[in-house]
Amino acid sequence: MAGQGIRRREVLRILGTAAAAAQFPGFSKWTFACGHIGNAVLQIKPAMYRPQFFTSAEYAMVERLTEVIIPSDGTPGAKEAGVAEFIDFMVASDPEVQYGFRMGLAWLNAHAEQADGRRFLELTPAQQTFLLEPLGFKDKMRPGEETGREFFRMMRESTVTGFYTSEIGYKELDNPALKFYAASPECPHKGDPEHAHVPQGRS
Amino acid sequence: MAKQIYDVIVIGTGAGGGMAIKTLCEAGLKVCAINAGRRLDPEKDFRYHRMPWDMKFRGLDDPKRRRQSFGYMDNEYTKAAWDHEIPFTVAPGTKWMWPRCNAVGGKTNFWGRSSARFGDIDLRAASRDGYDVDWPVTYDEISPFYTRVEKMIGVASTVQNRPSNPDGSYLPPFNFRCLDFILEAGCNKVGVPYLPDRCAQLTQPHEGHPACHFCGECTTGCDVGAFFSTPYFLLPKAEATKNLELRTNALAKNVLVDENGHAAGVAYIDRKTKQEVEVYGRAVIVGASCIESARIMLNSKSRRWPNGIANSSGQLGRNLCDHLYGESARGYLPQLLGQPSFPDHVADSTIAWMPRWQNLKDPHAEKFIRGYSVYPDGGCTEFPWFANDVDGFGSSFKREIKRRYPSPVSFGIQAPSLRSDTNFMDLDPEVKDPYGIPVARVHFEWDENVLKMWEHSKQVCAEVLRTAGGEFEGSGQDPEIPGWSLHETGTCRMGNDPKNFVTNRFGQTHDIPNLYVCDASVFLNCTDKTTTISILAFSLRTSEHLIENFRRGEHTAA
Repeated sequence: MAGQGIRRREVLRILGTAAAAAQFPGFSKWTFACGHIGNAVLQIKPAMYRPQFFTSAEYAMVERLTEVIIPSDGTPGAKEAGVAEFIDFMVASDPEVQYGFRMGLAWLNAHAEQADGRRFLELTPAQQTFLLEPLGFKDKMRPGEETGREFFRMMRESTVTGFYTSEIGYKELDNPALKFYAASPECPHKGDPEHAHVPQGRS
Repeated sequence: MAKQIYDVIVIGTGAGGGMAIKTLCEAGLKVCAINAGRRLDPEKDFRYHRMPWDMKFRGLDDPKRRRQSFGYMDNEYTKAAWDHEIPFTVAPGTKWMWPRCNAVGGKTNFWGRSSARFGDIDLRAASRDGYDVDWPVTYDEISPFYTRVEKMIGVASTVQNRPSNPDGSYLPPFNFRCLDFILEAGCNKVGVPYLPDRCAQLTQPHEGHPACHFCGECTTGCDVGAFFSTPYFLLPKAEATKNLELRTNALAKNVLVDENGHAAGVAYIDRKTKQEVEVYGRAVIVGASCIESARIMLNSKSRRWPNGIANSSGQLGRNLCDHLYGESARGYLPQLLGQPSFPDHVADSTIAWMPRWQNLKDPHAEKFIRGYSVYPDGGCTEFPWFANDVDGFGSSFKREIKRRYPSPVSFGIQAPSLRSDTNFMDLDPEVKDPYGIPVARVHFEWDENVLKMWEHSKQVCAEVLRTAGGEFEGSGQDPEIPGWSLHETGTCRMGNDPKNFVTNRFGQTHDIPNLYVCDASVFLNCTDKTTTISILAFSLRTSEHLIENFRRGEHTAA
């Protein structure tokens, strides 16, 4: 038990509502791995994903939201990683969260209608982003939108979970768990234990 | 038909039971070991080399089963090793979690591998500060056993010359990561230690076991056996002697007694047939882990032992202690923002620690007595848990997660509760498990002393983080639920006085010469340190004492 990060348990509590099956026949984009490190090959299965919980319209919204949260922008994003499939499967397996997701999506459409006279998916990408910013950025929060903010928080957390447990997500971070090591890895910054002079990282 | 009588029946195959089994078998004794669960097959059961996206349920099993999960180690990677069948209860007002690994090897399959020796500061703590009593064993007596255990299992560390954290026989240590050097510099300025932990993991091949390949998934089971566990390190040696019979899926129910009130064997439930089975021996060792051992002994009622076997002291089940765990501080190190990713996760983060620095010279220097340790952690962990604290969404969010990935740090306290009359376990008067056996009922609350340590740790860790140039972001609201540490002690305390202690200084019960205990239940209390290596050392000593008793003819057939 000693030395175990407390956060790890929290991560797995989040992951606990996750379910993704490499063998699950329904996934079209969700799983990519073909076994062990070094042999992983990107594979996209040709079939269309049929949502287990969300309606088609809801699912399209979920997919769009994951795309907005973690976009493809030079490196693959949530859409390529099939995060929407992950979220649908997760919500389908976990009745306790279903109401929150369904009501949140309904709230978002009502919010879009009120702001722009159209449903969320009918808005332009710029309009969608503009609508979501007060839900996701602390300095843009507005009173009266607590429901929306809570829903967006849930969506974002699910997207983060789904993305960063995919191979695409591992590669995005250059996750060290993709490799094994022959010797105990050592800090390379000799002579600078306080790391005051490390080359500035990329932003 | 003559019934078979073994020399020793051993209940449990964890650290305590496992060491006893190996030691007794190698001395030529015939041992029947019973284990509540099944054997694990590393090829089938340890799936940690599979990535989360290979796992059917992302590593956490069917969500319906997941709701019963104990946490990080009870998941799809190691399913069916943790017990969910036998309930326990708690007294009103008590919160307790009780993860039990009933597979062969118990928690040694998944443990944290931190392996510091107890020192006289722990064993003689009462002489220093007047609370409770000293252990009946001195450091000089137990030190040779620690050395033998370290040589058996392989522990990676350095010589640190701190009597409060005695040095042992060590393999080369794990190298420090960037975050270790940064935090070490902060600790040095604040005046607290930051040192390599004593990690029972093989940085080089040892005694026929392979070196670690640094995949970071230790606590989901090592399929190459690069750290100590009973199945890899002890059972093969026991089995090579041909003196061992291991019965699995055998749930110990009670110790059998003969007409003299001595131990005669063990009754257990065969979990496959649901039938009760008896196995007979000249001596019995209980090593089922702290609370379960006491439960078995309390359930071992007879005319001679109406309050539970070997319980004339009334202390069986009492004096329960646990480690308080909590997030003393968390934040990030700006020096590491935007840096390339680095394998910080290797050794599952048991690389460095801040061993107890409080009350070393003056036992009353602080507002609390005794002391605690802290485990730092962070860097590029397998999942970027901090991502949920990053603001916003979109490309800037994605980039910021990548930028911050090497930078998070957290500090986890490990603090001992004090022995107290309010903390104990007994048998629930009503609730029984599926086999009709009364379940354990836990009574526990954190004492004022350990809560002061918790508060103290929050201040010190925030100061260390800031002094190291880090940004402090917060600390845990509350400590983790009691029982979370898996380091409970005390329910069969050892001591020289039969009126107040269950076992003597060799782990032999005062009341019954042929009944012994080999797990953390004999420890008087928790310390700032973990328990496993001490369980191994004390079990080795208890086993050799038992062997000596056999040689002297003390444990003949009834």
